[in-house]
Amino acid sequence: MAKQKKLLTYHQRQNRQGYRFMLPWIVGFVIFTAIPFVATIYLSFTEVRQTVLGFKITFIGLDNYIMAFFENVEFVPAMLSFLGMIIPYTFVILILSFILAYLLNKITFLKGFLRTIYFLPVIIMSGPVMYQLIDSSSEASRIDTYLKFSDIFIVQMVASYSRRFALLLIGIFDQLSIILWFTGIPIILFINGLQKINPNLYEAAQIDSANSWQILWKITIPIIKPLALVVTIFTIVNLGTFSINPVYGLIKTATENTSGGLGIAATYSWIYSFVVLILIGITFLIFRNKEKGRRHDS
Amino acid sequence: MTKIKLTKIARAKKFHTFLKLCIYFVLICISYVYLEPILRMISMTLMSTKDVIDPSVDWLPKNPSLSNLKVAGTVLDLKKTLVNSVWFSALLACAQTIVSALTGFALSRYNFKFKKLWIIMIILAFIIPVPLLMIPRLMLFISAQNLLGFNLIGTPIPQILMALLGQGVNSTILILIFYNFFNLIPYSLDEAAMIDGASPWQVFVQIGMKLSVSTVLVVFLFSFVWNWNETYITGTLVRNSIELLPSKLNMFDSAFKTYAAAGRGNAEFRINEAYKMSATLLSITPLLILYGFVQKRFIQGIENTGITGE
Repeated sequence: MAKQKKLLTYHQRQNRQGYRFMLPWIVGFVIFTAIPFVATIYLSFTEVRQTVLGFKITFIGLDNYIMAFFENVEFVPAMLSFLGMIIPYTFVILILSFILAYLLNKITFLKGFLRTIYFLPVIIMSGPVMYQLIDSSSEASRIDTYLKFSDIFIVQMVASYSRRFALLLIGIFDQLSIILWFTGIPIILFINGLQKINPNLYEAAQIDSANSWQILWKITIPIIKPLALVVTIFTIVNLGTFSINPVYGLIKTATENTSGGLGIAATYSWIYSFVVLILIGITFLIFRNKEKGRRHDS
Repeated sequence: MTKIKLTKIARAKKFHTFLKLCIYFVLICISYVYLEPILRMISMTLMSTKDVIDPSVDWLPKNPSLSNLKVAGTVLDLKKTLVNSVWFSALLACAQTIVSALTGFALSRYNFKFKKLWIIMIILAFIIPVPLLMIPRLMLFISAQNLLGFNLIGTPIPQILMALLGQGVNSTILILIFYNFFNLIPYSLDEAAMIDGASPWQVFVQIGMKLSVSTVLVVFLFSFVWNWNETYITGTLVRNSIELLPSKLNMFDSAFKTYAAAGRGNAEFRINEAYKMSATLLSITPLLILYGFVQKRFIQGIENTGITGE
C-alpha cells in the first residue's frame, strides 16, 4: 500500500486529495440535492400516500398540474402576486444597492458607522420578522395608503396613464424600508467590486478630461456589470425564500399534509421553481448579451 | 492668469465639498429609512396601553412602560426558545463552517478532474429553490426513520446531517467566501510545508485554518444568523417539537390569542400590534447584541475576503 502511494503521479495525487476534501459536499449534493431534484419531477406526476409501511406512490399523469392550474383557486393568484412582487422588487433593489454602494464607497468620514447601519438588515432579516413588519404596516393602512399618496402630483400624473402602474409605484414607496432591507448583501457585493477597480483607470480618464458622470458610465458600470448578474440572481433567490412569498405558504401547507398532499406539493414547487429558473435564465441572457456587444465594440 | 486658475481650483474644491455634503445627506436620510422599522418597534414596545390608543401619540410614548415586553416574553416563552435557538443555530453553524472550509480548500488548492463541473454544481445548488428539494428530503427522512426505528423528524438530526454534508442554508456563499480567502494565501506556503513533510490534512489545519481565523469568524456568524432566521426548512423538518424563537414569532398571533383568552380579556387590534412589535423586537435583540460585539471584525472580514465569486 505504501509503495503504491509513492508511485502516484502529481496529478493523480492532486486528484485524490482534492476529492478527499470535496467528499462530504459531493455526498451531500448527491443525496440531498441531485436526487431530490429529479425525484420532485417524478413526484409531481404522482399521488403520494403515506402508509404504515412507507410511501405508496401511484402515477396519475397530469392530474396534479390540472388541479394546480384549473381547480385550485389559490395557486394561480399566489403565483401571479409572487411575480408581481419579485420583478419590481429585484429591479429596485439592484439599482438602489448599486447607488448606495457607490456613495458608501466615496466617503471616508463616518464610513464605519454608516456601513454598520447598512449591513444591519443582513443580520436581523428573517421571514417572521418581515411578516410581522409588513403585516403591521399594511393591515391598518393599506386602504388609506393610496389616498395618502394620491395628493402628490407625480402620482396623479402616472395614475392618469395607468392606474395599475401608479399602484405599483405607491406599493414600492410604501414598502421602501422593507425593500431596502434586502439590499444588505447586494451592497456588500457591489462595494467589494468597486474597491477592486484599478484607480489608475480613473486617473487616466481624468487626464483625458472626463467628468465623474462620464467616468461612472464608461468605466464603473461596465466593470461592475458582471457583478450585477450575481446580485440579481442572489436577490431573486433571496426574495423567494421569505415567508412573504405567498407560494411558499401554499407549498408548506400541502407538505404538512403527509397523508396525501406530497404529490401536489411537488407539483406546486416544481411549477414555482420552473418560473424562478426562467427568471434567472432571463437575467442571465440580459446581462450576457450586453457584455458580448461590448466586447464586439472594443 | 494664475489668479484665474486659482479661483477656478478654489471653486472646484468648494463644489467638491458641496458634493460630499450631498452624499452624506443622502446616506444619512436613507439610513433613517433603514432604521425606521426598528425605531418604530422600540417606540411601540415602550408604549403603555393608553398611548397605543391615543392618536396624538406618534413616536414618543407619554407614559412609557415595559409591560408589553413582559407579555410578549411570556407568550414567546422567551427563556426556553432563546436557549433552544442559540444551541440549534450554533450547532448548524459549526457544521456548515467545517464543511465549507473543506470544500473551499479543495477548490482553491487542488486540481482535480471535473473541478469546473463541481463549481457549476455548487452554484446550481444555490439557485435551485429550496421547496423543490424539501419534499423528497422529507420523504427520505420519514422512510429512514421508519427503517431505523427512532424519530428523525422533530429532532435536529436531519438538518445537522444536511449541514455537515454541505447542503445547509446558503452553503454556496460560505464555500465561495472560503474559496476566495484561500486563493489569497500564497501556494508557496503549502509547498514549504509539504517539503517539510506535512500531510494535506496538516496543511489544511496548520496553514489554511490558522491563517483564516477572521474568515472562520465571518462564515460562522453568517451561518449562525442565517440558520437563526431560517424557518422554512426548520418548519418542515423539526416542526414544533423544538421551540425556536423565530418560528414561535411566526405563530405569535395564535399564541397570543390563547394567552389573551386565558385571562386577560379581549385585546384590541392596536394593542395587539404593540405586543407584536415587542415580540419582534425581542426576537431580534440577541442578533443585535451579537452584531454590536463583532460588528467591526464582521464588516472588515466581509470587505477583505469578499463574497464575490469570480
